[in-house]
Amino acid sequence: MNLSEVAIMTPDWIESAPKAFDSVLVANRGEIAVRVLKAAREAGIRGVAVYSDPDAGSLHVETADEAIHLPGDTLSETYLNAEEIIRAAISTGAKAIHPGFGFLSERSEFAKAVIDAGIIWIGPPPPAIETMGDKISARRRMIESGVPVIPGEEIAMSGGMDHLGVLAASAARVGYPLLLKASAGGGGKGMRSVHEPKMLRTEYEAAAREATAAFGDGTVYVERLLTGARHIEIQVLADSYGNCIHLNERDCSLQRRHQKVIEEAPSPAVTPSIRAAMGEAAVQAAKAVNYEGAGTVEFLLSNNGQFFFLEMNTRIQVEHPVTEMITGVDIVQKQFEVAAGMPIGISQSDVGITGHSMEARIYAEDPSKGFLPAIGPLAMWRAPEGPGIRVDTGVREGDDVTVDFDPMLAKLIVHAPNRTAAARRLDNALANLRALGVVTNIGFLRQMSQHPDFLSGNITTDYLDSKDISEFSEPDTDPSILIGIAAAASRFGIDRMSMNIGSENIIDEHTGHSGDPFRTLSRSFP
Amino acid sequence: MEWVIGESNERYTAKLSSSEESLILTSLTLDGVEQSHSEVSFRRDSQPGRILVEINGQAKFALVAKVGDNWWIHIDGRIHIVHGHEPGSVDKGPGEGGMTAPMPGVILDVMVKEGQRVREGQTLLVMEAMKMEHRILAPKPGEVISVNFTKGERVDMGATLVELGE
Repeated sequence: MNLSEVAIMTPDWIESAPKAFDSVLVANRGEIAVRVLKAAREAGIRGVAVYSDPDAGSLHVETADEAIHLPGDTLSETYLNAEEIIRAAISTGAKAIHPGFGFLSERSEFAKAVIDAGIIWIGPPPPAIETMGDKISARRRMIESGVPVIPGEEIAMSGGMDHLGVLAASAARVGYPLLLKASAGGGGKGMRSVHEPKMLRTEYEAAAREATAAFGDGTVYVERLLTGARHIEIQVLADSYGNCIHLNERDCSLQRRHQKVIEEAPSPAVTPSIRAAMGEAAVQAAKAVNYEGAGTVEFLLSNNGQFFFLEMNTRIQVEHPVTEMITGVDIVQKQFEVAAGMPIGISQSDVGITGHSMEARIYAEDPSKGFLPAIGPLAMWRAPEGPGIRVDTGVREGDDVTVDFDPMLAKLIVHAPNRTAAARRLDNALANLRALGVVTNIGFLRQMSQHPDFLSGNITTDYLDSKDISEFSEPDTDPSILIGIAAAASRFGIDRMSMNIGSENIIDEHTGHSGDPFRTLSRSFP
Repeated sequence: MEWVIGESNERYTAKLSSSEESLILTSLTLDGVEQSHSEVSFRRDSQPGRILVEINGQAKFALVAKVGDNWWIHIDGRIHIVHGHEPGSVDKGPGEGGMTAPMPGVILDVMVKEGQRVREGQTLLVMEAMKMEHRILAPKPGEVISVNFTKGERVDMGATLVELGE
């Protein structure tokens, strides 16, 4: 894996930059690590990966020029181990660190430590992360700078405190229905909706547990839950010269338990005047914290056109590709440029919208069983190809999908001249994504992308949670075809011809033990 | 071999006959009863894992992969799982009362006690797997015979968490 003997010279585009760098360590794993490492390769920058034991043979390691092993079993020993990661950068001579999303990406102490070690931090200045990462200070700053916010308050939960009492009092002030969020949460973890006071206890306990498990922070934020609203977020880019622009909006309204399912750009609900107003508010939000680099300002857009600041994500976002598709701006490359001390190089009037883009998140999960995460060997993984189709993934055929990490396998992104064509292209690309060996949400995503409600564009954030999921179950296929194929494949000996993938996962016929998830998944979970 | 599609409990058998380079479906039974079926034939393809399927005269490709006893099939843009069973083998079906861990994880909370009566859909346990919480629900009403884990314990996939009686 070590290709560092191949001399990489500082590429032309960055050579004269004030903080030029010729190498970058990516402190992440999976598809975002692959995305950034590929961008580095393209930019002529040496890419360094870090990996924990379960990732030793993973795609992001293969994509890097050099990879450093992070020993240990837990996330805090590996991908959350700031010290070890900085040491890896120093030992490999990496001049910059890109944090990706999740993990250490929004930890200002990590950003500070990186900078203090003399390494370029590919992200916003630590004070911007700190202000935006703390929901109270973010709200205060937004109110000061005239950005509209949702009614809500934060409670710092400390030991010995009557947590529930404090929470109930706060909930009464904010009003039901409300949303409980772990302050350090994200990605739907540690976030629970509470529709009536009697559910407060159960949901708080669940949120606090999830937050502690995922982020090591038990602080809870109480916020009014706006129903019938859309999740609209604005991508911003800022540089160290005070330039700040926005790259239009993304609509992430299609969510299930606050996990985004399909994202798109532009939003079918955003008119040019709303776009201009939200864009301006987002730029204002970024400027209020002296932002630099790429960031996302999230808003809730109510059906009367009013919008409220939710939070700012001070990092690259999972759904950044839809913005890249419609604007033609490579956001990761822009992150490199800004970190190198270069100006953004484009002005607001340069930013247009070409066509329509959608992204579907491909998860190893079973929609028919409450979206339970699934595991197993990726016996076949063939991604669709064609005009306007992009697949960002961290897996490849033969990989094992395990419980160690987030079950997102890939992002399927399409770009087409208009929304109707994009939905068609998405459905067709999903149909050509051949992922065998692990249960995925691909069929569900197809049903979704064909659904009249989705096609109408009238989706609000509470849409999927209010639906009976069986409405999105796939049509039946003629059993004689399926049984015939299985019988014919056995007769042809196809199992013996193909790679012996997942052999260690094969369940023992007699003991009923080990590996095969479907035996247990399909038979025992109500 | 007996075949089961996805989650169903219906068992099929199929008979194929060779004709030149193809296999032709000549018989399909469902739970022992002969079924009418489409005219369908199968031909091996040069690409590994691919079969050319001709359905009522129309040709299309199927991609297949075998994992354990399951055949994974991609055809017409849809993914299916067909389980192969040795004839006469017993299916460990649901509803026998053993609620097993769907994933490896950690028990976050135990909501029931031995001897307690539960209603269908009642939460028995909460476990965490892949950083998310999952509630283990009672598939039927009944009495809790045993609770095999306590809060904080790690469980392997397939471990019996709770046993339910009538």
